[in-house]
Amino acid sequence: MSEPAVAVIGVTKIFPVPFQRRSVVALRDLTLRVSPGQIYGLLGPNGSGKSTTLKIILGLVPPTKGRAEIFGKDSNLVASREAVGFLPESPYFHKYLTGEETLRFHGKLGGLRGAALKNRVEELLALVGLTNARKRRLGGYSKGMLQRIGLAQALVHEPALVVLDEPTAGVDPAGAGEIRDLILHLKERGITVLLSSHLLGQVQEICDRVGILANGVLVREGALDDLLGIENQTELVLENASPELLGEIETLASKRGARVLDRRRPRTSLERVFLEATESPREQTRRDTP
Amino acid sequence: MIRPRHRAFSLGRIVAITGNTLTELTRLKVFYVLLLFALVLIGTSIFMAQLTFQQEFQVVKDIALGAMSIFTSLLAVVTTARLLPQEIEDRTIYTILAKPVPRVEYLLGKLLGVLLLLALSIIAMGALFFIVLYLREQTVLYETTRQMSTAPPEQMADALRAVRASAFSAGLLPGIAIIYVKACLLASLTLFVSTFATTTVFTTVVMVFVYFIGHLQGIAREYWLQNNSAGWITKSLLALVALLFPDLQLFNRTDDIIAGNAIPLALFLKTATLGLFYTGFYLLLAWSLFFRKEL
Repeated sequence: MSEPAVAVIGVTKIFPVPFQRRSVVALRDLTLRVSPGQIYGLLGPNGSGKSTTLKIILGLVPPTKGRAEIFGKDSNLVASREAVGFLPESPYFHKYLTGEETLRFHGKLGGLRGAALKNRVEELLALVGLTNARKRRLGGYSKGMLQRIGLAQALVHEPALVVLDEPTAGVDPAGAGEIRDLILHLKERGITVLLSSHLLGQVQEICDRVGILANGVLVREGALDDLLGIENQTELVLENASPELLGEIETLASKRGARVLDRRRPRTSLERVFLEATESPREQTRRDTP
Repeated sequence: MIRPRHRAFSLGRIVAITGNTLTELTRLKVFYVLLLFALVLIGTSIFMAQLTFQQEFQVVKDIALGAMSIFTSLLAVVTTARLLPQEIEDRTIYTILAKPVPRVEYLLGKLLGVLLLLALSIIAMGALFFIVLYLREQTVLYETTRQMSTAPPEQMADALRAVRASAFSAGLLPGIAIIYVKACLLASLTLFVSTFATTTVFTTVVMVFVYFIGHLQGIAREYWLQNNSAGWITKSLLALVALLFPDLQLFNRTDDIIAGNAIPLALFLKTATLGLFYTGFYLLLAWSLFFRKEL
């Protein structure tokens, strides 16, 4: 069995409340494992412990009990962060820096220098579609652009694991779609992605495995297909099926002891309708051009 | 891409954080307002005519060194106080510390950024001060030469020598260096306070108190210890204050410089070493708190 990209082992986190005797239990005996190459979604309502889990994994907050590991290295060790890129929730970044300066700064922190740094910055600006905005200060970036430059800084030192805290929070559907595509692109490149979100539709679309946190406890965990699939039901989607054919299928099914529970037209998603309606003419032309 | 091997301590990372901090601070309006105010104050000292040239030089030095001392101290506190709370509030600290950056490097980089800014400021103020002093000296030299045109050459040479000696005294550069060291100490102490403070305002208020206690504690100690009736409680309290707060009066050499007295080399080295020791000591204290700080 390969070494997990992330292993959280029996982690409990208790925050003392200042000037009071009581304390708040943010996480209770949490154990989870993210395999390399997976997109893992950590779900849960506000205050369920998602951000605390991510901070413990990143070594920003020490656990009260238990431990976290990144590719086998203890999260408290600085060296474990060599393999991680992180995009915090609603990041502000240094507004006084331009997009290019931001990537150069984070690249230097990741140990890049000279031509390697220059090439990597160029590559990432192109990847997140901000080449034209490279000289603009981040103070003038839109929310979607900030998320994209945030994702770029998380990737600058080529980490094998990317941790994203609410990556599409506050971003419009078009921006969220771009970020989703970038996440899928990371998976294609073999990068493990651990993301927290409460946008369930998006998680369902991209994640291989999910964990659901509630009040600091992992209440459900597993592969998305296992969690969502109904074991004794099968979905058939037919094209150009006549009413007669459908009738025959129903008859055959009942003869063999099965039952048709529902018959409906598949619907496109509201997101797709929105994106098609708001797509700019330039993008349409680009898409239509062979 | 070949990933460079992680190093436990990297000068490159510290330089990156230092550069970023310096960029941040030099793009702040408060920096330019403070610097401009100090420069205007130093510049206007040229117009303050007095009865004798000695008095004139003294006024220029008094105003310039006073402005340098106050503004570098103010700049050290105001700029350092906002660094950590601001980064935590903006969550920019997460993206930095989620990279392979040890917290000691982060603090060191931040502090060095401030120290570099203070160095640039004091160089700008010092340069203007020397220009003002030089211009006053040239005016006085011209006036003296004109007034003593009929005097014997030896007498005129003595008078010109006296003018030059009054303008540029030996203690000026070491004096400015001590002002800088004091600002470094204050910046490091502010960084330490900001590791447990939650807001910039709290850090600044604490530092205002520390500044006054630091300047007054030497005088209070002298007064109480000379008084034989001081009991062990008073002595213990004074010892505690002396341990917690640096005696900032030790870094106040302005009066000696204005009076034209040179700062002995041993005293200069002792003061500078003490200031640098305090700077390092407070940085260590800051790190000891920041090391396990929950972000």
